[in-house]
Amino acid sequence: MNSSSAEGKRRQRFDSLVTVFHQDMYRFAAWLCRDKAIAEDVVQEALLRAWKSLDSLRDDAAAKHWLLTIVRRENARYFERRRLETVDIDNLTASQAALLAETSNEEIDDLREAIFGLDDDYREPLVLQVLMGYSTSEIAEMMGLKQGAVLTRLHRARHKLMDSVAEQ
Amino acid sequence: MTSEQDKKLQALDLKIAKALQIDVPELRMPELPDIDDTNVTSLQGHRRSMKPLWFAIAATVVLATSISLRTSSLFQTYESLAEEVLAHLDHEPGSLRITDVAVTEQRLARVVPASLASFERGTSLITYAQSCVINGNEVPHLVIQGQYGPVTILLMPEERVSESTPLDGETVKGVILPVGNGSIAIIGDREEPLEPIQKNVVNSVAWTT
Repeated sequence: MNSSSAEGKRRQRFDSLVTVFHQDMYRFAAWLCRDKAIAEDVVQEALLRAWKSLDSLRDDAAAKHWLLTIVRRENARYFERRRLETVDIDNLTASQAALLAETSNEEIDDLREAIFGLDDDYREPLVLQVLMGYSTSEIAEMMGLKQGAVLTRLHRARHKLMDSVAEQ
Repeated sequence: MTSEQDKKLQALDLKIAKALQIDVPELRMPELPDIDDTNVTSLQGHRRSMKPLWFAIAATVVLATSISLRTSSLFQTYESLAEEVLAHLDHEPGSLRITDVAVTEQRLARVVPASLASFERGTSLITYAQSCVINGNEVPHLVIQGQYGPVTILLMPEERVSESTPLDGETVKGVILPVGNGSIAIIGDREEPLEPIQKNVVNSVAWTT
């Protein structure tokens, strides 16, 4: 295989994977950092890193897990480089508020705001389970936790959401 | 946990999934740097072997074939959705095992996440669940055991069809059914009575995308 043909195939493989998983990457990033503009930056960095290390992905069936792990690391790197600021839900930036853009369903809007207000420790496993479809053991592996800890966080996250929605 | 609690939890998860589904901006691809040739072919590149040249050539052929097989479903183009669906069955012959071992709830939840569809398992024996790619979209690929062997079900929320499309393979038959804004393909042995399966599947799936 000559180098330009190999490069073309490599690019084709990358484009195919990104087309399929871009939405998952962006939504995961957005719910990790709670800011649509930062999520776009994180995804850009993650795509660049994925491109450079594409040859380490031996099986495309594992691509989703691989790409989300890269997004998770890039998000952590982003906040390592910047001072971590707490998010005041009553005083959001435009980019943070964009994440809470209203739908036509008030109940879903309330729930979205409640998820936004969850601590990172609760929000991340919830997103991985409900939006990405991962099992608790897979989440435990991704987050470097014991499975019991993931189960506890998921249980508390759901209760906090139910309480928040009931109050509203 | 009681079934009442189960239902409440499922209903909550469905709402959470909807709340998490924020709009996604158009993909903005960063400028990708050229990759050194030695990296592109790194699988052979850093292998330092004393074996003769013929072995290296054979290894390259095996590797190229293996990469091509693994990625064929991503790169191949098809003239119709029906053609791609039938070809997909050939790409995953392992899915068509006759078995009585059901996939776990966790596996099923991963392959059919609440963000994509709600799916009631019902009484069918689901023996295979894999996330696949059809026409560039992620598609849950399930297999249940029918009277005449495995029956394949592809849940395709992104593939809108205007009417039922019959599928006619060498040894299989099936249909792509329009369901809401998407479609569901059901394929089984030529002798398999698919109508009751179609009814059950359509009633047990609701898109959440």
